Amino acid sequence: MTNVIEAHDLVKTYGTLNAVDHLDLAVKGGTVFSLLGPNGAGKTTTVEILEGLRKATGGSATILGSSVATEYEKVRRKVGILPQDFEPFDRLTPTEAVAYWADMFGRRITKGETKALLESVGLSERARVQAMRLSGGEKRKLGIAMSLAGAPELLFLDEPTTGLDPKARRDLWGLITGLRKEGRTVFLTTHYLDEAERLADDVAIMHHGKVIERGTPQSLVSDHGSSTAIVLVGAGKPGLEEARAAGFDPILEGEDVVVPVKGNGRAKDALRRLVALEAPVTEIYTRRQTLEDIFLKLVGARMEEGVLHE
Amino acid sequence: MNRVLADLLAYGRGYMRTRRCPFFAFAFPVLLILLFGAIFAETSTKTNLYVQDLDDSPYSHAFLEALNATNVTVVKPVPPDADMAAYIKDHSLSAALQIPAGFAVNVSLGSPANLTVYGDPSRSSYGAVLGVVSGVADGMNFQLNNATPIVYVVPKTVASPEFRFIDFFLPGMLGMTVMFNAMYGMTGSVAEYKTRRYFKLIASTPITKSEWLASKILFYLFMTLASLAVMLLVGIAMFQVKVAITPLAFLTIVASVFLFTSFGVIIGAYSKDPESGAAMANAIGFPMMFLSGSFFQLEAMPAYMQTIASVFPLTYVNNGLRDSMVFANDASALVNLGIVSAMALVATLAAARLIQWTRD
Repeated sequence: MTNVIEAHDLVKTYGTLNAVDHLDLAVKGGTVFSLLGPNGAGKTTTVEILEGLRKATGGSATILGSSVATEYEKVRRKVGILPQDFEPFDRLTPTEAVAYWADMFGRRITKGETKALLESVGLSERARVQAMRLSGGEKRKLGIAMSLAGAPELLFLDEPTTGLDPKARRDLWGLITGLRKEGRTVFLTTHYLDEAERLADDVAIMHHGKVIERGTPQSLVSDHGSSTAIVLVGAGKPGLEEARAAGFDPILEGEDVVVPVKGNGRAKDALRRLVALEAPVTEIYTRRQTLEDIFLKLVGARMEEGVLHE
Repeated sequence: MNRVLADLLAYGRGYMRTRRCPFFAFAFPVLLILLFGAIFAETSTKTNLYVQDLDDSPYSHAFLEALNATNVTVVKPVPPDADMAAYIKDHSLSAALQIPAGFAVNVSLGSPANLTVYGDPSRSSYGAVLGVVSGVADGMNFQLNNATPIVYVVPKTVASPEFRFIDFFLPGMLGMTVMFNAMYGMTGSVAEYKTRRYFKLIASTPITKSEWLASKILFYLFMTLASLAVMLLVGIAMFQVKVAITPLAFLTIVASVFLFTSFGVIIGAYSKDPESGAAMANAIGFPMMFLSGSFFQLEAMPAYMQTIASVFPLTYVNNGLRDSMVFANDASALVNLGIVSAMALVATLAAARLIQWTRD
């Protein structure tokens, strides 16, 4: 697979702030790539530079073989974009908006194709309602439908599920999975770790303008964590100290103590030793380590709705 | 579909669905035409008396002072070297007075002296002028020669088209409508595009800034022409308006749409949100509407206000439209068209530069 996005030494500064700090990036065609990070990490700035909507202070980027800086006209014809702050045109219906956007990309779209596209994002029943009357989730769906109206080879979705209810999020996940199956490349920016883990073939964790880690969700977990963790619910600091004394490398999550267990077949032995601790525990369970655990380890803080919690 | 037409269609749909915008485009000017038309339908617009004083003597000056003292006419000078018939036509006058050279000598010697009133006898204002001049001449005869006539008033017919206040009013309404539609519409649109980040969204498609601006100019041109058609229909049906849609009038409309659409973009670019944009547009638009001769003649205003009016683009739009649509004065219409076109060119270039297409 060839790279559809290549960025070399990308820099964006605002005064003394390095929003994007010497970033190198390559994204293969036909994959879902996720740029993961908290608010202010530089994700949207990076995406907007790649989309051609911001000028980089330094470095270069090519999209589908064309330079973003010098061949922007070519780039725009092949790329669909859902901005983070997308707002639809209030007085157009989804049907009209999709047809309008297809025309913008010089694509002749039939009524049937428009209908099918709106159906694929779950908006067919609201196809003739002015956008001002759509819910927040429906507006995001319309944004995705519009970004697909030009039949793009590459799709930038900047935090597409922010603010959506769980059902709407799952619907959109299904849609993104479907796009990948069609062979399209999706550049997904998100601060939802579960979203990246579930959808992405390739994840880059961004923090303070830099990519601090990169790989498939599975490789990140196996490289930086263990396959299993044992959770001592309510064990608190006493439990943390006891687990350390017992030779583990535990982490405190609120009042819970999370104990990573490295190596296959060691969970049973570890569980037996942890059960014997004297610290008060209301519940013990095992869980598979996730990107969330890896993020915590790499960044040193948890992330909720894009905000870091030390 | 072509990107410009697609954008025009989408913008037009949004515009027409606001309801507020179509009101100002169609209903508001029609309401004003009905209102002003009903009040002033038969009112003549010309109260000034244009005088060519070829004698320039104490006697002629005394005659003009007496004319001014009637409070019916205001004396306005005509250059001594002007051909009266041509001057009346070029300046769309209903009547003008010529005081001949040797007027003072003849009067002082008790010899007959002829004052010529040029104009179109079919127009009511001509009769009024003739009456006032004859009255002052009779007064002079009475004082100088015991009522034995030595000062005679000679009417001389110069054909000129008849027009009434409503004929004069309609092009002013058209100018005002272009300003209202294009400037207010675009100010609101640009401010909304900024605050709701539509520019960023639009910039992610292949449409260019020039195409986007072109679609808006085309849209407001269509709106203006549709508005003109409605105004004409109402004006003709209700008040038998007599105006001509000439190529010069059409070009003036096109240039004014460029001008005011671009003005709207510029105001919108400097406003923080649609509300502040509307306030800025009002601060510019309302003085311009009242002082640029949309409702009444500039000549009826004090001199300092006429000076202020001369900096407003709408003044030249209104003058140009009246010159071409009512007065058939192509030379003056061409000058006004040139001024409006030059302003439109500068404004369009500035607007294209000011549209904030991307973030930086």
